[in-house]
Amino acid sequence: MKKDFRVQYPLWQMAFIVMFGFLAFSVTSATTELINSTDEFSYSFELAGFESLLLFGSISLTFILGAIFASKIAKHNKQHLTQKLTMWQIRPLEFLEQDEGMTHITRKAAQKVYTFFVWALPVLTAIYLVFELSRFWMIFGILILALMQYIIYYLEIRKYLREVED
Amino acid sequence: MLHNRVKELRARFGFTQGDLGERVGVTRQTISFIEKGDFSPSVSLALKIAREFEIKVDELFWLEGDRKT
Repeated sequence: MKKDFRVQYPLWQMAFIVMFGFLAFSVTSATTELINSTDEFSYSFELAGFESLLLFGSISLTFILGAIFASKIAKHNKQHLTQKLTMWQIRPLEFLEQDEGMTHITRKAAQKVYTFFVWALPVLTAIYLVFELSRFWMIFGILILALMQYIIYYLEIRKYLREVED
Repeated sequence: MLHNRVKELRARFGFTQGDLGERVGVTRQTISFIEKGDFSPSVSLALKIAREFEIKVDELFWLEGDRKT
């Protein structure tokens, strides 16, 4: 069960969030120029060596991860013909709802994440209100919340499954 | 808290958690959650499990302090 794709899905999301963090860092570190006048509109940005390495490295890794991720979904769908997943479904892929017991642990984990957001969102809003932060740090704050969401969810589900599988 | 004799009866009938789960239509993990008291099953699932063990639901599940000796 611990190897079920739906259980491991938060780990994939965490990896994609980290990749997006690198991408955001490299783009926000770039020298940007915006021209928006009556007869011209242009946007350009210039990357230094390190930032361009980060940008292309993170994009390449995201594509590689995306390909492995898609193959994992295909493998899951082959093994679970009645519980197929798609990358584009609205309902989170990590929800375990095969029966009432699995729905119960999903609800417990989702409640913990909800509680986290009840506190974290006002705190983050207050930080943004008090401090004048750059674009990168604002994105970084949101990515940390997203990362925490998946860490909390994953650890809670794992706690229940470890108890019954050890 | 809801107590139960699922583990005891499962052993008596020679079922694994997977066997019992399959018979009542749930995963092995859900049977384990019930046995450990992590999860109280719905009435319909409790009835299905009791039916497998050929006993009444209140002989299989009981509330703390309610056990008849």
